[in-house]
Amino acid sequence: MAIKRGVSFYSYQQEQFFGKMDYRDMIREVREALECDGVEIINEATVPRYPFPTEEFLADWHNTMARYDMMPVCLDGFLDTLRFRDHVMTKNEAAELVKLDLRLAARMGFKHIRTMTALPTDVIQRALDTAVKLDVKIAWEIHAPIPIKPDPTIKGIFCDNPGTAVAETVEFIEKTGTKHVGFVPDMGIFMRAPYLDGAEAAVRRLKDKELAANITVLMKQVPLTELGGEIDKRYPNRLTPAERRSFSWKRHADPEDLALILPYICSIHGKAHDMVEIPGKPGQYEEPAMLYEEVIEFLKKNNWDGYICTEFEGQRSKQDQGMEQLADEVEQVRRHHEMMKRLIGE
Amino acid sequence: MLESFMVKKDSLKNVVKDGFVIGFKFDVRIAEYRGCFLSLHNGYYINIDGTEYPRGLQRFEINGKAPRDFDEIAKCVWEHWDYDDPGTVYVQAPGGLAPGRHRVGVMQSLFTQYGWHPHDEEMIKNPPAPGASVGGKQDAVYYYDMIVE
Repeated sequence: MAIKRGVSFYSYQQEQFFGKMDYRDMIREVREALECDGVEIINEATVPRYPFPTEEFLADWHNTMARYDMMPVCLDGFLDTLRFRDHVMTKNEAAELVKLDLRLAARMGFKHIRTMTALPTDVIQRALDTAVKLDVKIAWEIHAPIPIKPDPTIKGIFCDNPGTAVAETVEFIEKTGTKHVGFVPDMGIFMRAPYLDGAEAAVRRLKDKELAANITVLMKQVPLTELGGEIDKRYPNRLTPAERRSFSWKRHADPEDLALILPYICSIHGKAHDMVEIPGKPGQYEEPAMLYEEVIEFLKKNNWDGYICTEFEGQRSKQDQGMEQLADEVEQVRRHHEMMKRLIGE
Repeated sequence: MLESFMVKKDSLKNVVKDGFVIGFKFDVRIAEYRGCFLSLHNGYYINIDGTEYPRGLQRFEINGKAPRDFDEIAKCVWEHWDYDDPGTVYVQAPGGLAPGRHRVGVMQSLFTQYGWHPHDEEMIKNPPAPGASVGGKQDAVYYYDMIVE
């Protein structure tokens, strides 16, 4: 029983875009530099000709995974409900897409698929036979703003009742007794501050340059957690609602809430936007926006067994500044693993 | 945000057929972190030196097939545009573009999204033209200085 480390290849999306890393390079990086074996992929980024890969691709995938002795942890799928263009995708059709991903996951050796946040239980029900037959679990991602504890006020995203979807899925699991349904919580539900890269990008894009200069100074004076409140206090009504969101933050779940779903957590998305050096501790890094220490402590205390896969997504906010300012994905993921190793106690 | 790198440098060229310049073309990448089913790709807002070239004048070449217009692309619900693959946008414009430097504004229209949303039925009935912001995702025209040889 232990917390194990892995990487979602989402983290290297920019390297892949510019042709600097393919899945073989990513696998080698995870094994040789990060010294771990967990691999999570984005189906529509890693698998050529998705959802119908060639035998050659599958053979090379398995060969590369075998060469570096890796563990296929999770295949991430999507739910593009406008795809058919002449009608909105029905729930039955969504279940067929889930089945396609389950089959692909089985062929690539993955143990579970990450499906869309708040996937309705009637979709899960319809795909469940396939999941059981292939022994691949259906795990939907608990992503902000979806909480673990029910909040019926959340509406208008993902499905009809996103705010109570976790509780409904837990009820489904307990009622059916299935071992093939669960969750992939994203660390972004455990916020403790706004994302640093988001705040920096918002400052950069502010049309009010005087305010931008003032906020830049303020960022050095007050903790990130208090930045939004301080801006509101000192410069009221100067930000648009969208700008304001970049400096504010909300805790969607407490680490203890994980107790409600602990047996059903298939893996965790170790989200990271900015891995910054801890003052006075050279070579040690932290993610200022999320409660990593508390979450990992909770998981250790409860003997949770599974993978946390790094999902670095701080590259996107910097891409409007040209090649020179791009984030270093490889370095950021390495820093994230320094933190995870230390907190896990490897 | 990969939009800044969506249009390939040096790819803007006039298209000649039977000795006549019938339009121009440029290469694009999907400005996302993943590919998508081809039907979700709805064309481009294109503005070159102040002139707009709407979706109806555009065709898209991908997966080794001849360029297809975006009504045809909308029917490709099982064909995938892979993340790694560049495609080519062809624009019908008799006479093409003059040799020299051009200010090329492009906004890619993709109907990718996460699950069901209240706007779904409306998006199917009245799909927004490229250039209209969809769900706050494609929210700006990106500009590239490009040269036609």
